[in-house]
Amino acid sequence: MRNPRTGWLLLSPTLIILLLFGFAPFLYVLFVGFNQWNVFSADDGLVFNGLDNFRRLVFDDDFLHSVGLTARFAIFAIGSEIVLGFVLAQMLTRNFPGKSLFRIIHTLPLMVAPIAVGAIWRLLVIPGFGPVPFFLDRWFDLKYQIGSYPDQALWTSVIMDVWHWTPFVTLTMLAGLSAIPKEPVEQAKVDGASRFQVFWYVTLPFLRPVLLTTVFIRIMDAIRTVDEVWMLAGGGPGTRFTGIYIWRVVFPRTDYGYGSSISLITLYLTIVLCWLLFIAISGRRKGEVA
Amino acid sequence: MKKRFTFLLVIAIALLANMSLVSADMHDWWADAAAPYAGATIRGVSESTPPSNYVADVLAAQFTELTGINVEFETTSWDQMYSKAINDMEANTGIYDFVYIEQDIIYSYLAQDYLVNLTQFAADNPDLAYEGYDESAFTSFADYFKNADGDLFGVPMEAFVKVYLYRKDLFEDADIMAAFEEEYGYALAPAENFDQYRDNAMFFTGYGESMDMDLWGTTVQGSTGHPASTYEFLESIGPSFGLYNWGINLDAGSAMSANGGALDGDTAVEALTFWLSMLPYAPPEATSSTWDEVASSFAAGRAAQGWVYGENAAWIATDDSRSAVTGNVGVRLPVTAPGVIEAASMGEGYIGYYDGGAFGVPHSSRNQEATLLWLQFIGQQSVQAEWAAAGARITHTATFDDPLIAEQDAKVDGYYTLLEEQGPLFAGAPPFPFHAQVREVIDPFIQRAILGELSPADALSQAAAAVDEELSRLGYGM
Repeated sequence: MRNPRTGWLLLSPTLIILLLFGFAPFLYVLFVGFNQWNVFSADDGLVFNGLDNFRRLVFDDDFLHSVGLTARFAIFAIGSEIVLGFVLAQMLTRNFPGKSLFRIIHTLPLMVAPIAVGAIWRLLVIPGFGPVPFFLDRWFDLKYQIGSYPDQALWTSVIMDVWHWTPFVTLTMLAGLSAIPKEPVEQAKVDGASRFQVFWYVTLPFLRPVLLTTVFIRIMDAIRTVDEVWMLAGGGPGTRFTGIYIWRVVFPRTDYGYGSSISLITLYLTIVLCWLLFIAISGRRKGEVA
Repeated sequence: MKKRFTFLLVIAIALLANMSLVSADMHDWWADAAAPYAGATIRGVSESTPPSNYVADVLAAQFTELTGINVEFETTSWDQMYSKAINDMEANTGIYDFVYIEQDIIYSYLAQDYLVNLTQFAADNPDLAYEGYDESAFTSFADYFKNADGDLFGVPMEAFVKVYLYRKDLFEDADIMAAFEEEYGYALAPAENFDQYRDNAMFFTGYGESMDMDLWGTTVQGSTGHPASTYEFLESIGPSFGLYNWGINLDAGSAMSANGGALDGDTAVEALTFWLSMLPYAPPEATSSTWDEVASSFAAGRAAQGWVYGENAAWIATDDSRSAVTGNVGVRLPVTAPGVIEAASMGEGYIGYYDGGAFGVPHSSRNQEATLLWLQFIGQQSVQAEWAAAGARITHTATFDDPLIAEQDAKVDGYYTLLEEQGPLFAGAPPFPFHAQVREVIDPFIQRAILGELSPADALSQAAAAVDEELSRLGYGM
């Protein structure tokens, strides 16, 4: 029988790193979140202010607006990625000419750093110079200016995110589909199930764990999206998501206390959202065991 | 005759010998002074601008060759530069040995005691004080980087004004002039007042449309995702209408008219209304444009006139590889409301923005001595002229008289002369120790006004209230 101490010993480097770089900063943010601290204020020290920061954010229109925008962004981006990713994964389970090439090209956006994705899309859509507004104007007489129309900026962010992250969803779905045993599917077909019934009653339940994991990962990514959107539109109207709002409060405004409290609330909202989704997708109820 | 020739020859040889001796002496001084630090690497961060790029590409290499001290100079975006510098200085990490200090942020840095007193530091280290470096040689722009005792905290590396640029090829075209006069009843000319500016903008936008050209009537630095729009309004448009110091009354700790401020006053509303009314006559990229894109738009020939930072004037007017309007750039003072120039002449206001920056040494730097040598190197007179020609910036009084600048001045339609003679009409940002904090508060309101979501009066009224709230939170309010 192995000594459990050996296990802890082997785990200890990881645990120490997690404590130092994960848990300790979190505790620090938690502490700062209950203080007023702006290094450029007349009194630049930390002043304990209890729940004032949290009370302030409840009435902060900019913060609430950023939460709403982030929710819209996450719903549309992740919804599109899941649907597209599933369709593409289904397609890739079959053989067709050029499948390998398609798979490589399809996966390429995943390899591009988010900041570069933002830069590429900015070059594509910047009014006056980018090809997208040029051709939309020339061919369809459409005014496409992400600096002037917040909705256009939001939708461009969604499309950019879908372009970047759908390959990730495709790959996870493909892994999930490949792991489904053939027998239940064939049995359902023999029993006369329609394609939709096979999908709904056989494929989807088998895919549920993969789907859940993928949605969780993408939700967390979407809520903390900063770099891509920052490059694209600088966090202007339509793209001032929560992550960007936090960045603005913490860095240019150097309002560390308030920024920390927004970060904490955002983390809390993310956990709650993921938990609700977990319950909704896994079907777990009170008293059930996962 | 022969005697005279011999005499002149002797004088010439003596002068040449003297010059080479002086040059060798200079070389020796830098090598000797830097000997203890040879092989060290000093690191700096700055915004990617023409003057900064000259430092990175030219001056850093020259300094390394003379001293053996390596200079790693990071030129990045404006907001990243601030974040990196402030985080480094606040956390005392010592990543950067010198940082770019824009004129508007110096008061915040001084209030936090981030910077080394360079005058004092040089006095305390006489072996490192280079005799070719003279603080009194700087223009009065250096005063922005001094404390009450006159000690310098940053070596000025760029200084320029935001000017009115216009395309001479359009404004001097006979057919265009005739068409304008027929439409408006007076002669086409660079604008001297806001009505004329509007007429010009409307005319050239219509002209571009009718000729199927990518031409609009004016630039507008109206990015809705960047503070550049707030800056153009508060530092260029506002002052030209008579709105000074961002409309904030520092003594009263308020931006609201009711409390002695002016951000929501009639002058501010008039200025914002005018500026926003220019958007239909600006290129479509205007609402995504910071100072860089404005310069690029003008250089691409997409605007007939506009407010452009002077640091870009030289390359727009002379660099064929980057500009489509070389040789056709006219430079004038920005348009102003009646009485504003007179008030500025009497020191009771200013007509626009005198921008620039300096390099300072953070207390957190681990290589302060080597960095002092570096700053003296870039602050000496002998490197100024070519730097000024490349970056349209002048920090030394004597640079104005340099033949290279005189030659460049002609190519840039007298920009350098304007900077020298009329520079005092402009001013830097107000001495706020909370510059970025308050500007961040104002940004969303200006941006919403640009989008048309708020009227100018509502935007400024809400901005003024938000500023007061922030001032109060920061401990500077009423």
